[in-house]
Amino acid sequence: MTVTLRSTTSFDRRAALLRAAGEYLAAAALVVATTLALWPLRERLTIANESLLYMLVTLIVAVRFRTGPSVLAAVLSFFAFNYFLVRPYYTLAVEDSRELLDLLVFLTAAVIAGRLTDYARRQAEAAGLNARQQDILYRLTSALNPLTDVAAIRAELRRVAVEEMGAVEVELLPAPAASPAESHPSGDVVFVLLQAGEAIYGTLRAVFARAPSASEHRLLVACAGQAALALQRVDLTAQAERSRVLGEADRLKTALLRAVSHDLRTPITIIKTSAANLGDADLAARLSAEEKGEMVQAIEASADALDRLVGNLLDMSRLQAGAVVLNEDWNSLEEIAGDVAAGVYRREGVERIRLDFPDDLPLVRCDFGLLRQALGNLVDNALRHEPDGQRVVIRGRAEAGSIRLEVVNHGPTIPAEERERIMEPFYQSRDGRSVMGGVGLGLAIAHGIVAVHDGALTVADTPGGGATFVIRLPQTEGAP
Amino acid sequence: MMILIVDDEPQIRKLLTTGLKGYGYDVLAAADGNEALTLVAQRRPELVVLDIHLGQGPDGLEVCRRLREWSRVPIIMLSVRGDERTKVQALDAGADDYLTKPFGMEELRARIQAVVRRAVAEPGAPPDSVIRVGALAIDLANRRVTVAGEEVHFTPQEYDILRLLATHPGKIMTHPAILSAVWGPEYADMTHYVRIYVNQIRKKLRENPAANVRYILNEPGVGYRFIDTA
Repeated sequence: MTVTLRSTTSFDRRAALLRAAGEYLAAAALVVATTLALWPLRERLTIANESLLYMLVTLIVAVRFRTGPSVLAAVLSFFAFNYFLVRPYYTLAVEDSRELLDLLVFLTAAVIAGRLTDYARRQAEAAGLNARQQDILYRLTSALNPLTDVAAIRAELRRVAVEEMGAVEVELLPAPAASPAESHPSGDVVFVLLQAGEAIYGTLRAVFARAPSASEHRLLVACAGQAALALQRVDLTAQAERSRVLGEADRLKTALLRAVSHDLRTPITIIKTSAANLGDADLAARLSAEEKGEMVQAIEASADALDRLVGNLLDMSRLQAGAVVLNEDWNSLEEIAGDVAAGVYRREGVERIRLDFPDDLPLVRCDFGLLRQALGNLVDNALRHEPDGQRVVIRGRAEAGSIRLEVVNHGPTIPAEERERIMEPFYQSRDGRSVMGGVGLGLAIAHGIVAVHDGALTVADTPGGGATFVIRLPQTEGAP
Repeated sequence: MMILIVDDEPQIRKLLTTGLKGYGYDVLAAADGNEALTLVAQRRPELVVLDIHLGQGPDGLEVCRRLREWSRVPIIMLSVRGDERTKVQALDAGADDYLTKPFGMEELRARIQAVVRRAVAEPGAPPDSVIRVGALAIDLANRRVTVAGEEVHFTPQEYDILRLLATHPGKIMTHPAILSAVWGPEYADMTHYVRIYVNQIRKKLRENPAANVRYILNEPGVGYRFIDTA
């Protein structure tokens, strides 16, 4: 590590030296002045009076300056007192040996009093700094609390170091840069670890115009510690989210394996046995044309089922991975619903859908193919539970700010506790049948497709019984 | 009639060859784009079934573009579900139609017949001045449209769109193509116009999709196709 000593430092030291010399001179001057003042009165005052006055001067020096000048004041007072004011005058000899004791007691008392006073003054100063420091720390902690972004936390720490503590230059290094356990106040460059428990979130490198005091340094460490705690909180939150996603992926994987084992194997088994039967010359000779036709149809139906399943699995994984590219355009929902309804008629040969669209329903910006699939899945689901002789209704309505597309079914009502869960992939209703008859992907895919259109898919009760699935798509500005 | 099949999957080539031979066509097969270009030049097939995604060499779109530089042979592209952009590119590259995998042989045969019929018929005017599909009759000479015998009134733009689609039964008309033909090339990207007008036309034609009574079919993300009853 390199420490840049700033050119101002030597200047600062000289200034400090000059300031100290001034304090000593002032202390000496005060003693001289006191002696001069007492000198004319030396015959009328007792040693006790005079020593108390000198004591006062020493205390004043101690309060005003620090220990050094106060000791000087005490010693100077001792000699001046003895030389000028105690008989015999102008010698350091003392007539009465009791007076010598008085003088020595004075000297000791003055030195101790000076030191005590200086200590008290420094305590008072330190206490004042603590209140300010605690204020800084408190405000930093409150500022950090709501932050969930690493960059914002670092910026806040940087702000405190610069604005509140007067750092000239602050840098946040990504790795521990000083010795890992403690920080080093080396001249005017300070390194502080951003540490929370075992975890280290980098190093704060701050440059100060003058070396920070021990308490300023402690404040810096405390601030860095708070920032590290905030970073750790963000880190732990991210970890929790990751494990939640992993847990979800795990649940999906289990559900997928279970679904695949049944829904893939059934059509594969049908295809394999049908093909084997048709390929067996002996067996084929005994089969009627009608029976052969049924086997061929079974192969085709199974292949279609596999195609739908693979398509659904691909769509689901693309939706979940956020890998869907929308081929958006202004589309007519009635056109999309028409395609779905026509597909149902072709498949079933019966009219099972009723379309209900106003003449003036605005166009919606969406991906035609994806939305047709979402609507198709909802319609397939509705048809599965629709009583014979009734029709599933596909209804389009404009409302404030959005377009509503409803798929109305008249079968059993979905219990409240199942409503949320039926949108989950691979959800199987409690009677053991999946909602879509297949692997339970249809509603989840519909939900995912509506979501990538910034829409919402909800389910409500149909008046008189049944479920109504409602797609709401935002009505974009500038709709034609 | 000779058909060239281009697909990099040997199994698919074999199945299509067997199927089309079963319908009485002569069949050639190519495994990649370069082989396909060579075969078209040497053997002059009357139709090409071309997979969009070929394993190596030029892909289906590129083969289609290069063929169109010197050949008018009808091309049917094979594509996969959800690949609308590629379908549009294929049509832009000069393909006559596309079919989405997986499909049945019946469907492929119907598309082949439709494309060949159009290739023969297109240069001249439609043989009949009245187009009849189900309950719908369009009298081109008199610009009169009737549904179940009742006359239906269309605005000039609506009629132009209907006529454009109806005179190309079974052919995909892309949104820009319809816009250019009816409003002019400068309107080619105003696709929502087409949707609004087609919505109106459908209502007037009294389509009922729930009973599969439809004259204009959607090609999602691509355009429209008038129903082909031939």
